[in-house]
Formats: sequence, C-alpha cells, structure tokens
Amino acid sequence: MSTGVITHIQRFSVHDGPGIRTTVFLKGCQMHCPWCHNPETYRRDPEIQVFPQRCIGCRACAAACAQGAHEFTAAGHAYHRNRCVVCGQCVDQCYAQALVRVGETRSAESVVAEVLADRPFYQPEGGVTISGGEPLLQAEFTRDILEQCRQEEIHTAIETNLAWPWPVVEPLVPLVDLFLVDVKIMDDAAHRAWTGLSNRQTLENLRRLDALDKMLVIRTPVVVGVNARPEEIDAIADFLATLDNVAQYELLPYHPLGTGKYDALGLDGPRPEFRTPTAAELDALAEQAKRPNFVVKVAGMVSTST
Amino acid sequence: MPPSVQNRTDYASRLEHLRRRKEAQTQEKLRRQGYMNEDDYGMVLPPEDFTWQPKPNHPNGSFYGLQGWADNFCNLTECHPVYVDPMDALAGRYMVLLNRMRKCNWPPEFDYPELKSDQDRYGIISGIGNDAHFAPDYEIGLELGWGGLLAKVRQYRAQHGPDKAEFYDAEERVILAVQGWIRRTVEAVEAEAACQADPVLEANLREMAEVNRWLIEGPPRTLREACQWIAWFNMASRTYNRDGAGGQLDELLRPYYQRDRSEGRIDDEDAIFLLACLLLNDPHYYQLGGPAADGHDQTSHLSFLILEAAHRLKSTCNLTIRVHDGLDPRLLRKGVEYLLEDRKAWPRFSGDKALVEGFMRNGYSAELARRRIAVGCNWMALPGLEYTMNDTVKINVAKVLMAAFDEMMHDDNDNPSLDSLWQRFEKHLRQAVLCTARGIDVQLDHQHLNEPELVLNLLTHGPIERGLNVTNGGVDLYNMCVDGAALANVADSLAAIQSRIEEQKRITWQELAECLQADYPGVEGERVRLMMRTAPHYGEGDSLGDRWALRVSELFTWLVTEKPTPGGRRMIPGWFSWADTLRLGKQLGATPDGRRAGQPIAHGANPRPGFRADSAATAMVKAIAAIQPGYGNTAPVQLELDPCIAQCDEAVGIVSRLITTHFELGGTLFNINIVDAQQVLAAHKDPSQYPDLVVRVTGFTAYFANLSPDFRQLVVDRLVRGC
Repeated sequence: MSTGVITHIQRFSVHDGPGIRTTVFLKGCQMHCPWCHNPETYRRDPEIQVFPQRCIGCRACAAACAQGAHEFTAAGHAYHRNRCVVCGQCVDQCYAQALVRVGETRSAESVVAEVLADRPFYQPEGGVTISGGEPLLQAEFTRDILEQCRQEEIHTAIETNLAWPWPVVEPLVPLVDLFLVDVKIMDDAAHRAWTGLSNRQTLENLRRLDALDKMLVIRTPVVVGVNARPEEIDAIADFLATLDNVAQYELLPYHPLGTGKYDALGLDGPRPEFRTPTAAELDALAEQAKRPNFVVKVAGMVSTST
Repeated sequence: MPPSVQNRTDYASRLEHLRRRKEAQTQEKLRRQGYMNEDDYGMVLPPEDFTWQPKPNHPNGSFYGLQGWADNFCNLTECHPVYVDPMDALAGRYMVLLNRMRKCNWPPEFDYPELKSDQDRYGIISGIGNDAHFAPDYEIGLELGWGGLLAKVRQYRAQHGPDKAEFYDAEERVILAVQGWIRRTVEAVEAEAACQADPVLEANLREMAEVNRWLIEGPPRTLREACQWIAWFNMASRTYNRDGAGGQLDELLRPYYQRDRSEGRIDDEDAIFLLACLLLNDPHYYQLGGPAADGHDQTSHLSFLILEAAHRLKSTCNLTIRVHDGLDPRLLRKGVEYLLEDRKAWPRFSGDKALVEGFMRNGYSAELARRRIAVGCNWMALPGLEYTMNDTVKINVAKVLMAAFDEMMHDDNDNPSLDSLWQRFEKHLRQAVLCTARGIDVQLDHQHLNEPELVLNLLTHGPIERGLNVTNGGVDLYNMCVDGAALANVADSLAAIQSRIEEQKRITWQELAECLQADYPGVEGERVRLMMRTAPHYGEGDSLGDRWALRVSELFTWLVTEKPTPGGRRMIPGWFSWADTLRLGKQLGATPDGRRAGQPIAHGANPRPGFRADSAATAMVKAIAAIQPGYGNTAPVQLELDPCIAQCDEAVGIVSRLITTHFELGGTLFNINIVDAQQVLAAHKDPSQYPDLVVRVTGFTAYFANLSPDFRQLVVDRLVRGC
C-alpha cells in the first residue's frame, strides 16, 4: 500500500462537496498561483513553518538542532532555513508551536482510518474529498485512498486542477463520484502567466469526464486584477455550457487569510497584492455566469442576483 | 372578546415594541444591579423607590419555614408593583426574587460541620439550601385554576389532622396572595383601558382585564387565558424562589388552541402573537415534540406555531425539541432553520433514545421515562412527579484528582506512578461522592423546615394530598442529580502524565509537582506547561485523552450509581458545570493538563477550547457521546459554530445530521451557538454597542452585554478558539 505526504486532514468539512465530509489535503502542486491561500501545499516535501509571535524563548530548538539552523541573538530567535534538513527535531521540542512541521508522510490505510472516524455523519450525501495541493501529483496514493473509500461505500470527491495527461486521470474515473475542478482563466496565455501551466489539458479532460457522465462542480477563484471581469467569467460559463454534467459553477472570492503563511514558510519575496471582490462585483459576475444547464453559487450559496 | 381583525396587522409592530422594551429593561438591570452571569429570567426591575424588605423570623436576620415564607410572600405580593403594557397580550411581570433577599439560606441549627472539610477539599457544590430545580405539572393548575387549587387545599386540610394545619395555612395563603396580585392587576388594566385612546389597544386592555378577572378563580378556557394562567404561575414561582422549569408547552396548550380554532375565536396569527407574549413574559424551559408516554409523537401544528412565535420574538428563549425516531422531521428542520437564521442559540435539542434507555436503567418503565422531559438548563424531569435537585449538586473532579496527586507526592512510602495516582483518585472520588450523598440527605431531611416549596407544591402530585412538602415525602420519586465538573481537565491531565512522564519520560513526577506548586513559573515553567498542554487530549478522536475521559466517566458513573445515599435516595450522574466554570476554577491550583492556577475549568462535558486544529464538530460530538453516564441525566454538547456554516445551501441538513448522529451515538442534549467570532470580540470590547447579542452561555441564554468581563472572556475563549 502506498504512502504520501499530506498537510492535514480536516474533519467536518462542509465546503468541499456535499454533506459532512472529511477533506484530505495532499502536499505539492504543479501550479503556483500567487493568490493561493494554502502556500504550504506548493511544495511536495515537508517544510518548517515559523511563527515568531508564539516563541517563548526557551531555546530548546537550538539545543536540539545538529545543523545550527536555530540561533538566539539579542534580537531573539533566528531560523536559517538554508541550513535546515527538516529532520523535525526542533519541532518535537517546540511545545509553543512556534515551529510547526507541515507535511506528514502517511500510509493510505492510516488516512482512510481517519476518514472512517466520521462515517456515522456521512449518510446520505457526505463522504471524503481528496484535495491539495494537487492530488494527482501523488496519483498512486490518491488512487489507493479512493479505492479503499469506495470499498467502504463512502461517497468520494476529488478537488483537482486536472492539468494532467488523460492516462493519469483515467484510472481515477471509476473511483470518484464527484470532480471539483478549478477553471481559473480561459485565455491560455494568461493562464500560463498566472499559474505557470496551460489550461488546455484541464479543458480537454473536462470534456472527457463529461462524455463519461461524471458529475462536475466547477470553481473559479475570483481575484480582482486577475479574472474578476465579466468577460472572463462569461467565457468560462460559455465553455461550461457546452458540457452536460456540470451540476454547479461556484465563484469563490479571493480572501487574504493565507498571507501570513507565506511569511511562516519563508516565501518572503515580492508578491502581487490582490483584492477581495466586493459583494456587488460578485453579484454582477454571478449574473454573467448564469446558464440554463447549471446552478451558479457564490461562496457556497446559490446566487440570488437578478 | 377575541382579538379584532383590525389589530392583526398590528402584531409585528407590537412585538417590536415589546422586544425593544425588554432590551431597555435589560440595560436597566445592568445599570442598577450590575452583571448577571445567569439566565435572563424575564424579570423587570421595580420602580427605584420600591423599598420592600423581608421580615426576619430568625435571630440571624433571615426567615425560614412555612410561616416565614408564607408571611413574606404574602406581604410582598400585597405591595408588588403591577405591570401593564397595552401592547402586550398578557398582564404582569415579576420584579423581586424573594429567595435572594434572605441573609442566609440555611438555618444554623441544621449546620453540617462534619461535611465541610470534604466539601472544600473536593470542590463540592452540595445543593444544600438550594431550591426549585424540579418540574411542576402545569396540567394540575390549568385544570383547576387558582380557585380550584384553593378548594383542593381546603379539601385535603379537612382530611388531615391539626398537625398539618400550618402546612395548609401556608399553601392557602400563597394562593390567596396570588389571587390578590391578579386582582390588583385587573384594576390597573381597567384603569389603563379607561384612558387608552387607541381603539385597538383599548380593546386589547378590556379583554386583558376580562381574562384576568376570570383567572382569579376560574380555570383557563381559551388559549389567551391558558397563556395568562401559565404566566401568572411563572411569575409567582419566580418571585418565590426563581423556579424556571417549564413543561411540554405544545401539548399543554393544544386543547385550548384547538378549541379556539374550532369555535372561530382566533386564527394562527392571533395564536402566534399570544405565544410570543408568553415567551417574552419569561424564557422558561419548554419542550416541543417528542414521544408521549405511549411513544407516539406529540408534534402538532401548535409546535410549529410556538417555534414561529419565538422566531418573530427574536429574544432569549429556551425551547428544546425532543428528537426521537418518530419525530416529525419538519419540526427538526424548522428548528434548525431558525437556529441558523436568528442566531439566538435556540432551540436546543434533546436525544430521546439515550435519555429513555438511561432512565430505564434505574428500574423505571419506558412509559415513565418518555415523560421525563427537557425543562431545565441541562436537565430532565418528570413534571409533577419527582424531586431532583437538578443542576444544584456538583463535584469538581479536577480537585479530587489533585487531592490524590498531592497525597501521592507526599507519601514517602510510595513511588509515584499512574497506577498509584488512579487508585488514590478512585478512593478520593468515592469519598467525594459519599460526602455529596450525605449533603443530599441533609437537604432532604431539613429543606422543608428551611424553604418549603409552597408554590411548586401546588402543581406537584402528592404534596397537597399528603400535607407534605415535595422535599419531605410529598412525592414518590427522588432521583437526585449529581453532576461531575472538569472532565476534560482530568482526562487531559491523566493523558499528559501518561504521555510525558511515563511513556516519553520528558519530565519527572517531582518536576511536575514543583511546576504545579509554583504555577508553572518562568520560561522553563511555561515550557513544561505547554508540553503538558500539547499532550494527547480529550476530543481529538480515539486519543489517549479520549480513553482517559471514558475511564473517568465510567468510574464517576459507577461510584454515583453503585449505592444510594445513606438516607436511601437514588443518585443519577451527569456531566455539567453550568456557570460555575469560573468559580470552580478559582478554587483549583495548577493542573497537569497545562491549566494555570485559578483559570476556569473546562465547560461541562466539552473538550477544552482548541481541542483540535480543525475544531471538528464531528470529533466533539463523538467524544461527548462516548462519555455519557447513561442513567437519564445529561452530559450536553455545547457547540459553537461560525456563521460561515450558514453560508452553505445544505446548512440545515448538515446541522441536523450533526444533531441526529450525536443522538444515535448516545448523546443526550445539544446546545448550539451560531456566533460570529469577530462580533463577539467587538462586543467584548464594547458591550454597549451590542445590547441584543444573545449567546447560550451553558444551558441558558443570556444577553452578552450583561455578563461580567471575566465571564465574557470565558465565552470569548470558547467561541473564538472553538470556531
């Protein structure tokens, strides 16, 4: 049975698929969207997050580190990420949780065991959602989890960017009840510029899944300055209107809650500043997105804009 | 005269007026009386020049016994200010809590010095001298009215000898006093009607006077009269000793509603307004739905109208929906809809399966168990059939653990170990339970001479018939509540000790003892505290803490149920701390779970705030379902949900699923706050800006602005860290 790297498992997850779910967040993503609120999922390998405001100055991290990655000076604690081998010795000693290891290697069985803990709450519509990062970056691990959940008759969903060759996606098709797929930008050049990857594969895979009658929920993170324009949402909706199995199209407004994580991960280079769309902007975009063959939601609620 | 067609459209504005007036009255209470870390009770303050004081009948300046209570209750009600609001459907408000005006709530001649050492040592709230906390059967009063109750008292007086004369005298005087209070109110209503210019309100006042004039003697005949009768009983009972137990409100009122409807007296809008006025008059604990004694569901159209009334009222409220297999699913759904929409922390939900099966474990029938309903903060009771001391008796189990810990560390003949600590904990907990049991006997042996239940006796089956107070043989059933408190602190402490001392050997027993003694001093102490704090704990899910919580609860349950009190009274265990989390925490030094000295203990059966990084409600719900004592009393879930849960089309289904799954897993009672953490933080900073913010503090709801700063902090910690 395979192992994989996860960031965490969230029980009582109610925004990643229907009903009460357990969402498993896998670490690593082949896209690097600068608005991502989970930057700890950029990289596949485990990392150390540093939260200086929690440090109590006990210096146990420095004593535990054989690499000299932790130093205490008159200015306080200094962490030298370039010396760190992410062995986790310092984290084990940091009860203040100023140092947090993000990324845990787990077997598929142990993940499924945790998913099963909430089985009594799943019926009739809830279940498991595999998210990330990008789950297909760990395709075998993802498949093993889904297979076991399928054997346990638990509803399965996967949250993916689908930017993979079809042979990577295809084995998952019979194991997944619901695909939650991001379509971020329709213009391929803009998509490449913002995310680092083309959207061609995503759109092609969506057509293939649709042809196989797989239920689809499409999501667009709405970021002012990137895609929060009526013509952009209109173009995405036009594409979705060509599909038969889009149950919902969700507009997810950008929020800045992840910005502190960039600092904690040492991702402290220059980053574009984004703005959350206003309610009026979202309503206008939702209106633009409406098509006869799917429901439009804004932040989880069916759009009531007229 | 029924409410006229013309005033029907006026109900919304009348309710708005009544709600605003209540908010102003609540702010007035804050100004004149200070903070209130308890129920909103529906009391309004008397005029500032009202200066009534009770008359003592004891050298210590307090008053006791039949004569003392009857004298003071009658004297108070004779001069109690009357209250009439022309916009209201019901007359009257109560303004004084007589039991809180006593200088001392226990006669010194019944002192119990032999218990005090253990009570202090184990943090026992004995319940001695506490009153009410059992449920009346309103059907008795609705059937008889005040006149019928008076006739009943006189009938049984005649059947008993002169040795019961003082008891019947007192009961008779209480009824006459209530009748006098109603009579004076009728006069005030008539005077108000005479000068009321608005024809709709004048008609309302004329009908109000007519209703109340009838109720001085007669039993209620209409829904309005029934609501007004219940309101009068509540006002009398609150005035006497703050009793707040309600009943199965939908069933109590259904005959009156159906009769009014079939005879064309009212429509549903009239009924909703009447019900809203009753709920405004007093936020008593009422149950809706649930099984009748034969198991059939009691949900009726009126159940929905009561929910609708509370929804339109948008104030503090303590309705509970009894969830059972046969419940009309629309009632659960409607209740959850209003919980999410109004965010006033009502309704609550009780779990019939575990409550019934648990109560039957005491040897009672299923029929009786189904009649034991949710009518108190955390508690169930058989209306009119049992005396319980519900929610008044508590053991601070963390204090028991620390007594065991200190004893072990000071025993030169013992090497500290978890086994030794557990054995000593069991010994001390047995001692604490025995002390608690003896305290219950003290209460039951003497309470009738201290504070007879002259009002609640009237709606209880037995006291009037036998001439005996409810605490003293007036009823057949004595099921005495014993709640444990600080479950999470004890479970987390034992898990931290096992993990950090015995398994990982990161700290020694002696080092921990020194840290506890000095309250985790300095940077190193803080490091140790955090080390203990981050050990596996209760609520994480199949963790060491969860296993210890189960073991502690099983031990507590066994010790409480293994034998009755020395006086032969059955005890029933539960887990609940009410608003005593602060008080019990202040009595307690630092604990091995990383809690500092004096900090609040954990809330009820809940895991500590921040028990999981994802704060998963499912994990909490499972954990609490697992530790239920299982004898018919509760270990409630107190869940805080962020309003973002409502930003989901499926929110009603999801919350309903949480509730029903908790009950399927063995849960008993479910309280939910839907509160915006940012709003609570802002309200904590400046409460005056949020006068209408209502939170369910424990079993009860309260205006957040009226809580004391340290209690607000407690709620903030729970809400913000729990979301």
